[in-house]
Amino acid sequence: MNRRIALRHLALISGGLALIPSCDFSSDDILAAYEKLKVTASQKTLLGSISDTIIPAGEIKGALDIEVPDFILVMVNDCMDTSNQELFTQGLAAFPNYVKSATGKKFDALSSKEKEELILAGTKLEGEENKALSYFLNTTKRFTIQGYMASEYIQTEIIPYSLIPGEYNGAVLISDLQKPRING
Amino acid sequence: MANLNIRSKQERTYQAIVIGSGISGGWAAKELCDLGVKTLMLERGRNVEHVKDYPTTNMLPYEFEHRGQIPEDIKKENPVVSRCYAFREDAMHFFVKDTEHPYVQEKPFDWIRGYQVGGKSLLWARQVQRWSDFDFEGPARDGFAVDWPIRYKDIAPWYSHVEKFAGVSGNKDGLAHLPDGEFLPGYELNVVEKYFQEQLKKHYGNDRHMISSRCAHIHGNADYYAQQGRTLCQNRNLCQRGCPFGGYFSSNSSTIPWALKTGNLTMRPDAIVHSIIYDEEKGKATGVRIIDRLTKETEEFYADVIFLNAAALNSNLVLLNSTSNRFPNGLGNDSGLLGKYVAFHNYRARVSAEYEGYSEYATSGGRPTSGYFPRFRNVYKQETDFLRGYAAGFSAGRGVRPNTEGIGMDLKNNLLNPDQYGPWYVGSHMMGETIPKESNYVALDPNLKDEWGMPQLRISVDYDDNDEKMVKDYIEQMTEMFDKAGFTNIRSSDSKQAAGLDIHEMGGVRMGNDPKTSLLNANHQLHAVPNVYVTDGASMTSTSTQNPSLTYMAFAARAAHHAVAESKK
Repeated sequence: MNRRIALRHLALISGGLALIPSCDFSSDDILAAYEKLKVTASQKTLLGSISDTIIPAGEIKGALDIEVPDFILVMVNDCMDTSNQELFTQGLAAFPNYVKSATGKKFDALSSKEKEELILAGTKLEGEENKALSYFLNTTKRFTIQGYMASEYIQTEIIPYSLIPGEYNGAVLISDLQKPRING
Repeated sequence: MANLNIRSKQERTYQAIVIGSGISGGWAAKELCDLGVKTLMLERGRNVEHVKDYPTTNMLPYEFEHRGQIPEDIKKENPVVSRCYAFREDAMHFFVKDTEHPYVQEKPFDWIRGYQVGGKSLLWARQVQRWSDFDFEGPARDGFAVDWPIRYKDIAPWYSHVEKFAGVSGNKDGLAHLPDGEFLPGYELNVVEKYFQEQLKKHYGNDRHMISSRCAHIHGNADYYAQQGRTLCQNRNLCQRGCPFGGYFSSNSSTIPWALKTGNLTMRPDAIVHSIIYDEEKGKATGVRIIDRLTKETEEFYADVIFLNAAALNSNLVLLNSTSNRFPNGLGNDSGLLGKYVAFHNYRARVSAEYEGYSEYATSGGRPTSGYFPRFRNVYKQETDFLRGYAAGFSAGRGVRPNTEGIGMDLKNNLLNPDQYGPWYVGSHMMGETIPKESNYVALDPNLKDEWGMPQLRISVDYDDNDEKMVKDYIEQMTEMFDKAGFTNIRSSDSKQAAGLDIHEMGGVRMGNDPKTSLLNANHQLHAVPNVYVTDGASMTSTSTQNPSLTYMAFAARAAHHAVAESKK
């Protein structure tokens, strides 16, 4: 874990300079923290916009506020096999074109409602030609939900996680429950 | 190889040596130390001190980088241990990785191991059901293996002895084939589990039962357990990380610190046992040869009596590797049966369903156990086309889930206000008895060695036709019971998982009355080397259906007292 954080910081501080000496400072650096994915900084930004559309900020923080995009990339990098990683990165790479052909605009230029509709539609695409895109969007949605709900912010400030859930009650009337609990 | 025997022989001499610090070794050491015996405990792995060495025990879900999941690289390198349900990010440091300790699978066998002080007692499922004479008399009645040299009356007082100390919660259920014990208050079954209990009574009279499973958790009498530095189970269900409350029984929380407090126990972690030393002139075992895990140097320790509790298959390995002129094929192996008649538990099948009733109810809080189906097949007489039978786990539960279909604020609101109570889920898994056979065996590989020069174990253990029939019967019977109870959407599955993944491997050094057909006598002594006791899973003559750890604990305590009584003769 420490190694990854160190790499991440290094990449941020140096703009990737230390790791990719020949890089052009203005170009789109590959992020070394997710070594198996070859994801660029701008792709990560795009992923951030997508995850923030899936769970936007409001009174309660959204996905981007609590670094869910980083969690998504860590999970894809570490916990997926090579073929699924490829599907994911292909889908991520194909997303800008998908947006452009559907709307004629860039993702960031769309309204929230347009973004939501586009992502939701993308998760439901079928057929071989859309396999990577829909896989990417469904995976991003799944990890956005997981990363958001299992975040320090949610589990301490919004729905505190209880390490000690209390004695078992095997017959509680649902109507008597104040609020469903995440643990126990 | 360098030799570490630089300290005087006297300094390396104890009254007893216990090989292994898991659930049975811990008990052997605790009893010996309580009886005033200067005891050395050898453990092949690193030391794990209660609380101090439980690095993940109080971690919150978001503190795990992968939220509990095992990274793909680790899974790929370690396919065997990755199939174990408890091998997760929070407890992976307590499991042996495939790559570090290779073995040979003549047939697929998932060997799940824990090489550290406490062994698998840190990781076990904590289910503790007693055996009865319906189990001990099984081989004799049904004509397989050999007759157990002991009966329930021999072991019953020792069950009581270990239950009291370990802390066992359960109800007095009054079942002849699952005897009651020394119980702390039992855990409650939930409303649907109770409903199922009633349904069983209605449809099967007194033939089939489902009870609250007895588990090794402190659920009452806190003052008594305070003497061990343990306290009440907090229902965290994070047991596999090691429990800072000592709420469940492990060697680390209970027997080892207790034995250390007597002043009679010396711990020697990082000591891989090479062999037990046999003195031909004296006609007995005189000590143990070890290889230091870190330096790879050898050292010898000496004692009057040796307890072998290395966990079932490794106890076989140690004896097979303990050769001498007198015992060229392994210590005590006059019968030629050492390593043979290995068996396990058949955990392949599951049946699950839903129940629409009690829709106004849910559960709250946590509990460390659930329901248990004692064996109902072939208990009083043979009634099926397969031998023996199966127990089963049973539980009902009801979760609340958010609707995750949408996106944006709708999704966010749904996530933070989960309100989808589906039907109750009910689930069951089988725990079948397998029949020990000579063809299911372990042996030393003649060529392959591990990093320490120890021969690798060859494992040749498989299911048979009896197991296949039992899987089929379990699925049929459980489906029928679920159907009669009005459960719907009943689904069954046969994982066809390899033997071993049950983590209940047993036998190879079986007990019996006749030295020609067994290795150990009724007191767990090697017939041919009576100052060596084997009281772990290796000693099992048959497997029955109950989770075996409680029986190993009782065996170890009983044998320790026997050894001390013998030494005073």
